[in-house]
Amino acid sequence: MKLLFNRVFDGADEMYAIAEKTLNETVAELGESAPINMPNTGYFLANHYSYLGKRVTTMGELKACFPEVKSWMRHEQRLGDAFKSGFGTVMAAEVIEACKYAKSSEPYGDEYHGHLSDAEVRELGVPLVTGDIPGFVVIIGPAPSDEEAVELIKGYQSRAIFVFLIGGIIDQAKRMNLSMGFPVRVVAVGPEIWCAAHIISFVNRAAMIFGAVQPGDHEAYDHYTFHRIRAFVNAFDPVADIVVACGGGAIAMGFPVITNDTKDMWPVPKSLIIQEDTKNFIETSLEARDIKIKVTKIDIPLAFSAAFEGEIVRRNDTWVDIDGSRMDCFEWVRTLEAHEVEDHSIELIGPDIDSVEPGSRMALSYVLEVAGKNMQSDFEPVIERKFHNFLNCVEGVMHTGQRDIIRMRVSKTAYEAGFRARHIGEVLYAKVKSDFESVVDKCQVKIYTVPEQLKALRAEATKAYDARDARLLSLTDESVGVFYNCILCQSFSPAHVCVVTPERLGLCGAVSWLDAKATNELDPNGPCQVVTKERVVDENIGIWEDVNEAVNQASHGSLQQVTLYSIMVDPMTSCGCFECICGIEPMTNGVVIVNREHAGMTPLGMTFSEMASMTGGGVQTPGFMGHGKQFISSKKFMKAEGGSARIVWMPAALKELVGAKLNKTASELYGVEDFVSKIADETVAEDVDGLAAFLSEHEHPVLNMEPLM
Amino acid sequence: MPFKRTPQQFAASIKEVTIGTGDKAVTLGGENVFPLYSFDAPISNPPKVGVEFSDTGPDRSVPGIAAFYAGADSLGDVAKRACDMPGADFVSLVLESADPNGDDMPIEECVALCREVAEAVSLPLVIQGSKNVEKDAKLFEKVAEALQGKNVLLMSAREDNHKAIAVAAVMAYGQKIGAESSVDINLAKQLNVLVSQLGIGGENVVMNLGTAAAGYGFEYVASTMDRVRGAALAQNDNMLQMPAITPVAGDAWSVKESVAPEEDFPEWGPAEQRGVSMEISTAASVLAAGANAVILRHPDSVAAVSKLVSELM
Repeated sequence: MKLLFNRVFDGADEMYAIAEKTLNETVAELGESAPINMPNTGYFLANHYSYLGKRVTTMGELKACFPEVKSWMRHEQRLGDAFKSGFGTVMAAEVIEACKYAKSSEPYGDEYHGHLSDAEVRELGVPLVTGDIPGFVVIIGPAPSDEEAVELIKGYQSRAIFVFLIGGIIDQAKRMNLSMGFPVRVVAVGPEIWCAAHIISFVNRAAMIFGAVQPGDHEAYDHYTFHRIRAFVNAFDPVADIVVACGGGAIAMGFPVITNDTKDMWPVPKSLIIQEDTKNFIETSLEARDIKIKVTKIDIPLAFSAAFEGEIVRRNDTWVDIDGSRMDCFEWVRTLEAHEVEDHSIELIGPDIDSVEPGSRMALSYVLEVAGKNMQSDFEPVIERKFHNFLNCVEGVMHTGQRDIIRMRVSKTAYEAGFRARHIGEVLYAKVKSDFESVVDKCQVKIYTVPEQLKALRAEATKAYDARDARLLSLTDESVGVFYNCILCQSFSPAHVCVVTPERLGLCGAVSWLDAKATNELDPNGPCQVVTKERVVDENIGIWEDVNEAVNQASHGSLQQVTLYSIMVDPMTSCGCFECICGIEPMTNGVVIVNREHAGMTPLGMTFSEMASMTGGGVQTPGFMGHGKQFISSKKFMKAEGGSARIVWMPAALKELVGAKLNKTASELYGVEDFVSKIADETVAEDVDGLAAFLSEHEHPVLNMEPLM
Repeated sequence: MPFKRTPQQFAASIKEVTIGTGDKAVTLGGENVFPLYSFDAPISNPPKVGVEFSDTGPDRSVPGIAAFYAGADSLGDVAKRACDMPGADFVSLVLESADPNGDDMPIEECVALCREVAEAVSLPLVIQGSKNVEKDAKLFEKVAEALQGKNVLLMSAREDNHKAIAVAAVMAYGQKIGAESSVDINLAKQLNVLVSQLGIGGENVVMNLGTAAAGYGFEYVASTMDRVRGAALAQNDNMLQMPAITPVAGDAWSVKESVAPEEDFPEWGPAEQRGVSMEISTAASVLAAGANAVILRHPDSVAAVSKLVSELM
């Protein structure tokens, strides 16, 4: 067997020999002073200009550079030599092409595209840099059949990938009457492998234009192409040494080569990939170059808009009622390995919704399986929680609940418009891929409707839900490495910063630590940033130097320090969206909590609105604090002052809402059972005297605590 | 006790952005003091005043504007005339007709108009878009290509279309962009971060921080601009150190005070005078809050604001 290095070196020599011959013949024919003007470019011979920093304008100058090209093709058994030989091969190829253009400004006529103009570089470069064109492929050689050639090209086209063709595949495309040209994003570059020089010329000019890379700075080109240009090569069997040599250059630039040739081929992970089944070229290629395809439209027969979010489907208008309260209906997101997920596969397992009588109930569940390099199981519930919103936006579809208590109705009108079970998958696929694009690389949906199968699957899903709940419970401020801030509200409360921890969710109640984490991952420059917690000052009241620095920076200097667990010392600020306000009640040494919905008076002599006016706006008011409802039962709730045992009054509705969890916390922290029954509410006291009487009557633990002030 | 003067100069400064070419090019930014605080340190580039006209021509329903542009019929003539307005440092074409919810003028026609204007003007050119995110993305790419070498400022790149506009305008065709956010320091900063991550340096970006007519929620604008300048200078936040430009005219000329006819509110006096007053007071306010350039319509406003700037410097 021949080693890969040797194949590259032999291929490089072969290209060099052809270049040398062409060069000598052309010089003999035109003379050394003959000009070389590649049409419509300001970058000379772009590859020579990029790698050597030389501006080649005449045949003589081209000839003068040629020994230097040779010096790039050293033949030692080293990776660096193979890569460099690859670049040398590209320059040799450029010599061959330059000689053609020295003889004629249009050597290829209409047959092939050849050299790309600077205008084309810019036109294609902009969408490549912005990601509107997710990448480009260079397809070399004839495919096994004409049909397969066209199928592959169209497959790339449908994914908005720009296609360059070299060699026999061009004839195949022509025989199949495939429409080609720059506007349809399929360019027949040329018949021979040295035409690849035009593509690399495009790449190098893009690096100069869009990356401000300086001619001659070879490493900067590699760096730019590797990080910014999402390109790859598909080379069909048989792949000659000369193609392998060009491939060495492509790989050095960061462009993986995918081939079905197995003879003397040496797979290199992420770089040289053997995919014997050419039907899988696209999938393998996209994965190798980390290209994600943007989903631009949702393939359903109905309108999709936030306008339909609140739409109710009445019983009489219902075609099918998917009812999780009576049947095994659930929704579930789970993470799989990349190879286990076929992107955009939507599978219906069981009968469709056209199998039922209008107005009947049906069991249906859907499992969304995702894979992604940045995917974490913590994001599963975050994604899953959005299903409600996604499905409700479909005209004629109503969705409520989550996990295994979902209920979904599809209206008769929606059914008649052609809506079927598979469309649930289309909606979820499209929305998840676009809204969670930074974490979800691949996504498939399975829809199940066979009752027997659903029972087993539901048990499996329930296990996953339980594991998530256990994870949530195990998340404490101590067990995580970082906190997050949230500055979503700064548009109207410029000085406010929330510090979100596992045990203290954002005061609006809408941003948990997991939400903040997901937001940060999805939108790294967005409103939630990582707050480290490495330099602890006082763990009891919750002071970290890093937290203070983060708050100072995020509030643009308005706020120097906060404590996470105290209401008296530098309490966290509030914007104005707090679900609840907690304020100290000096007579009882306790605190009163009132939620936004409660309109009545509190024992502090102030209503919610009156308390809100002194709590919001990003100012620190010791003794007052805005917070989320779920924070009440947290073990970190004003921990510095003794914790939730300080709560002496809450509206009855709020007690009802947080009661069970709060009782559990009080039991664990203080050994007090049924703690909530010791907390007064508006039905027993709206003033201090009534409150004090109630507390002593019920032996509230606050009576034995230290004074607050 | 004698008054002791301590100049408040910062180690940080606002970045400089130059638009236009040749000796008429203008440079925005560069100062290391609070807005208009020329008593603390010299301000090398005083705030600039631009003259705005639409692609349908200037607003001739306002007598003073109609009189100024009298006889200028083609858009090229209008552009030329605008350059002669006393106090003008640059001119600004608004591609109003491009709006898909309005005339939806095809991109080629918009580009042709831009060419006509660019050929006619002697001052730097600022082009404002259709305010439609998708249309602007395509439109500015073509305008940037057509006006290569003119170093124009294209307003605006927003969060949803900044990539296409920034890459095409700055990287492919060497123009400048205005990064537009809506009166929020964090959104402004985020957009600047995103643009810089494309590999575009601050010397190519001007911020449009959003605006309102004075009296119409203007305190939001003032506090946002204040905080942006505070962060840029006092905290040396280099993602907020780009100069700011504020198109004032659109808001100032559409509020009730400017449009209500005199018959309905005789006690308010002539409508035109009120519009000019709105324009001047809004412009003066944004300059005090930190704008390095304002865009106005009426010759009287341009004269007054330009006089204000020169007397303060």
